[in-house]
Amino acid sequence: MAERGRRAGSKAPKEPWPKASVPGSWRRDHVRVAHDSFRHVSRRFGTTLLAWLLVGIALALPAALYLVQSGLAELTGRWDHRPGLSVYFEPGMGPDTLAAELREQFGVERVEVTTQEEALAEFGAQAQLADALGILEVNPLPASLRVVPVAGAGPADLERLAELARRHPGAAEVVVERTWLERVTAASVVARRLGAILGALFALGAVMVTATSVRLAIEGRLEELKVMKLVGASDGQVRRPFLYLGMLYGLGGGVLAAMLLSVGLTVVEAPLAGLLGSFEVEFEPAAFSLRFLAILLGAGTLLGVIGAVLAVRQRRASLDIL
Amino acid sequence: MGQIEFHGVVKRFDNGFEALRNVSLSFEEGSMTFLTGHSGAGKTTFLKLLLCLDRPSRGRITVNGVDLGSLKARGLAFYRRGLGAVFQDHHLLTARSVFENVALPLRVAGMRERDVGRRVRAALTRVGLLERESMLPTQLSTGEQQRVGIARAVVIRPRVLIADEPTGNLDPDLSRDIMALFGQFNQVGATVIVASHDLQLIGGLNQRIVELSHGAVVRDIRPTPGSAHHG
Repeated sequence: MAERGRRAGSKAPKEPWPKASVPGSWRRDHVRVAHDSFRHVSRRFGTTLLAWLLVGIALALPAALYLVQSGLAELTGRWDHRPGLSVYFEPGMGPDTLAAELREQFGVERVEVTTQEEALAEFGAQAQLADALGILEVNPLPASLRVVPVAGAGPADLERLAELARRHPGAAEVVVERTWLERVTAASVVARRLGAILGALFALGAVMVTATSVRLAIEGRLEELKVMKLVGASDGQVRRPFLYLGMLYGLGGGVLAAMLLSVGLTVVEAPLAGLLGSFEVEFEPAAFSLRFLAILLGAGTLLGVIGAVLAVRQRRASLDIL
Repeated sequence: MGQIEFHGVVKRFDNGFEALRNVSLSFEEGSMTFLTGHSGAGKTTFLKLLLCLDRPSRGRITVNGVDLGSLKARGLAFYRRGLGAVFQDHHLLTARSVFENVALPLRVAGMRERDVGRRVRAALTRVGLLERESMLPTQLSTGEQQRVGIARAVVIRPRVLIADEPTGNLDPDLSRDIMALFGQFNQVGATVIVASHDLQLIGGLNQRIVELSHGAVVRDIRPTPGSAHHG
């Protein structure tokens, strides 16, 4: 009875013989494959260097655009001569009411008021026309006020304040001094979008370079792979060397891209610092940080692995001995 | 029930040629069998099906009761780890040393390096090639290459050893040595199936002989009990 119960409970074998698992074999295989891959890369250093260069350039170009974009964004944030808003009033109308109203608004750092008299005095002093102006019966210059927004204010904030000023009954003209900010912001957007497009294109390029290099490696080892499968290598074991190879191509490309960017930054550092200094902005390549470096190397490695996966998939039929 | 069973196996290729016709055979665990027949009789196809290098068009092959057709990729890999295969054209890696070639199945199985070294050297000693371990296969004679192939097949201590014309390129003395080696391996419990057309060589070994002709089994001669020897 007990015997029958055991038989009923026992499952039919799924494998011809029990799987002989060797403890630590998975880890050992990874170590061995990593070692073999390093050896493969060092033995074919010319080919490897070419792959690294291509992947490196493909990564360096969008990364450089990212640095430019980050720099522009940083620059607009640190710009001391912030753009503002000027309101010119109808003759005889005073700016005090609107000035008080604007000072209450969110995002306004200060409001500078210029009365008609002050405007006339300033004009006379600058144009040295004090005598000529003296013969005028009526002061033709309007009273005005200038709104200086807080740091980091964007075009939308300025537009909101301008709309408020336009609704004021005494306001004759409202001028938003946003040209510089808009240009920098627009350039930053262009750089970001261009970076995204170039990034996608060059990432594709990096994947293709890695895929081609890995495919060549597969072609060179096709017989070995077939023998490996014949002696019981799993699909994972067959794929593994090429994934490591792709990873090394990508990682090496990432390192090379970082080196290229570093050299590029060193070359432009002095003239760029001079240019920014003329705008009273200190040069700080803050975007080229450890985090950026980690992302660059990670992206290179990931692209390399993707390329290798594509190459292995493409040649899978050749690796199938059944 | 035999360890290996062919049930009505037919292998028909795309061009319509039937390499195996309704073959039903059973091989007991620990047995030694010679497959013989003229060139094109179906010996290699038979072994390829057993190695899962091809699938039968009809019928099924079971090993220890498991239908080989039911094995998925991972199952196939583990199945092959229990087999040792020797080919007439060796299938050696020409860019790797003799040691590396023989070590391949052990490394695939995930064995520790110190065990790999020990077992590879033991296998090379058995085939008399220990002093050649650092040489490349291309630097060896055909007979030596064949012995490297045998060392690679036996190093994993397979449950089933399969050899396709292992003595095809060898002189009679070396052929006898290799058959003796298979015999020794069979004596320690492995099932051995050897395809050979050399009737003179296998006739005197008093082992089971299965003769194929045009893809069909035409003779199945069992050894005389108590008189089997291994050359």
